Amino acid sequence: MEYPIETIDLVKRYPTSARRDVRGGFHSGGQVTSFGSIFSVLRRTKGPFVEALRGVNLKIKKGEIFGVLGPNGAGKTTLIKILCTLVIHDEGEAYVHGFDVRKEPVKVLKNLQAVLPESRGFNWRLSGRQNLNFFALLYGLNEKEAKDRINYLLEYTGLKERANDGYQRYSTGMQRKLLLCRALLQNTPTLLFDEPTAGLDPASAAEFRALLRDRLARDEGKTMLLSTHNLNEAQGMCDRIAILDRGKITACDTPDNIRHMMFDEKVFNIVFADTIFNDDREKMVNEFEAMPGVHGVTPEVDRESNFNGISIRVNKNMDLSEILEVIVKRGLKVRMINTEEPTLEDAFMAITGQRKELRSWGLKTEVKE
Amino acid sequence: MEIPIGLKQIIAFTKRDFHSWTTYKAAVYTQLINVFIGVFSWGVGAAYVQKPVSEMYGSDYISFLVVGIAIGNLILPLVQGVSSTLNPWTLETILMTGISTTVFVVGNVMWTYIFSIITFIPYLIIGIYFFKVRLNVNIPSTIVAFAISAIILMGLAMISTGLRIVTKSTDPITWALNVLQNLFSGVTFPVVYLDTIFFTGASTISWFLPQTWVYHLCRLAMLTNASLLDPTILIAFLEGSIFAVILFPIGYKIFQWGVNRSKREGTLGWY
Repeated sequence: MEYPIETIDLVKRYPTSARRDVRGGFHSGGQVTSFGSIFSVLRRTKGPFVEALRGVNLKIKKGEIFGVLGPNGAGKTTLIKILCTLVIHDEGEAYVHGFDVRKEPVKVLKNLQAVLPESRGFNWRLSGRQNLNFFALLYGLNEKEAKDRINYLLEYTGLKERANDGYQRYSTGMQRKLLLCRALLQNTPTLLFDEPTAGLDPASAAEFRALLRDRLARDEGKTMLLSTHNLNEAQGMCDRIAILDRGKITACDTPDNIRHMMFDEKVFNIVFADTIFNDDREKMVNEFEAMPGVHGVTPEVDRESNFNGISIRVNKNMDLSEILEVIVKRGLKVRMINTEEPTLEDAFMAITGQRKELRSWGLKTEVKE
Repeated sequence: MEIPIGLKQIIAFTKRDFHSWTTYKAAVYTQLINVFIGVFSWGVGAAYVQKPVSEMYGSDYISFLVVGIAIGNLILPLVQGVSSTLNPWTLETILMTGISTTVFVVGNVMWTYIFSIITFIPYLIIGIYFFKVRLNVNIPSTIVAFAISAIILMGLAMISTGLRIVTKSTDPITWALNVLQNLFSGVTFPVVYLDTIFFTGASTISWFLPQTWVYHLCRLAMLTNASLLDPTILIAFLEGSIFAVILFPIGYKIFQWGVNRSKREGTLGWY
């Protein structure tokens, strides 16, 4: 067993006729409401189908935090639910610590647990501790083990003070922590998170992220797969990410490599001190434009002819020293320099084809499926 | 005269709920049919003559009726127990613990069953003190009758739940069984009376319904002091057990089929 999570050509199709009523329309909700539709639901076996996953290949390494990014409907939740045995895939293979998720679900669930915000499953009238105790017994812990483990987890997540309060009194952040406690009851080596910080305020989200990254991943060496819309979260937390778009993985690498995968450029923004824009400065601009690797130069000159700064779009591999050499040679004083690089959001927008919101980075390649 | 705003608001709530109710066509039909069956079965009970009760159970009608109602309240939670706990928040979470189907089903009905046993006793006490109900209980037979009943009804509960997980609505099999139960299972009148009301041999239908055996075995044990040592009684209990032996594994399979199908369709979390 080399990888805690491995998927090979994973395919999942959902029948679109699953909730078609007798008039042929679709129900907005999950219920079928007439006898005709009840029998048709029981009878149906065939499509048409919509493909949620179209040949997903993933290998997640031990101790890695792996992010799955994708727009709504990309298949992120389907992937997570397949791995935690709540959805059965149609083709391909999926393994958790070497166990087949379709054939050995009980062994899979001994090695992997998930935090799914929509599947809380807690009794609102019981306390956090009572809820955890119930699940600990379902997971097969004996009373002593359950008590010790629950005490440890409540301390670990900072819920100890409120452990005996009714669940209904918990804030969203506390509820999320209790979900985490439940997922950790078995102390499985691998954890899945579906939108781990969705609905949390910035402070709670930061605290929750730190808990996952610093304590669970770094200290305890757990392997984590998380799906998220939050690109900053992915960039800050994940060792590697995969971008899932319409059921296919279109990019899979470290966040930095993904950012640079799509773009050739970066921008040097240089701010000058006490400089007038004159003929010599114009020659300098022309010199920059003539340099190999420079794609564009934009001088910032105000109405009093003050030369406040310059933005230079360059090849992503170009070194700043070549630019600075020219500036120093011309005797300009530099007040500040910053390098602007494409963000993960820029890369995500480009990869998923949502370019209308894309900033004007030089797009390197078209993404082909 | 202007209608007060409070009244208009109440009317708005009522109209909303009426329109919502009418969209559930299956539920509307089942409710209407249930009303008809209910009126019919109680009407038959009210017009009933004493003779068949004393023939079948050696008891009077009020004892027969009160015990039947008490049994009905004891077993109803078993059928409803699993279904009532089904929702997307609990089902996915519980299944992720990796527990077995049997534990899931028995675990979900256990408290409601215990609570039903507790509330079963007041029914009998009120019946005895206010309506002069005459019980003639054989305790071992009663325990066996309850055990057979529990297995039969858990089988039905699993069938119902397995189908409901797929349809997300009423399941036609359980609905049909419940409708037939009210007509043919002898909740409010002995099944032999059906031969008088409908046609000779109509009561034969009753003995193919599992609920008939639940009521019959419990009434035998509680009204006639039926001993399992009596070969006639033992045969009746064995006949009832056949339903238990058949329905429980079928229910288990249908429940698993429902969960697996729902997992394949990705609808486990839908309700």
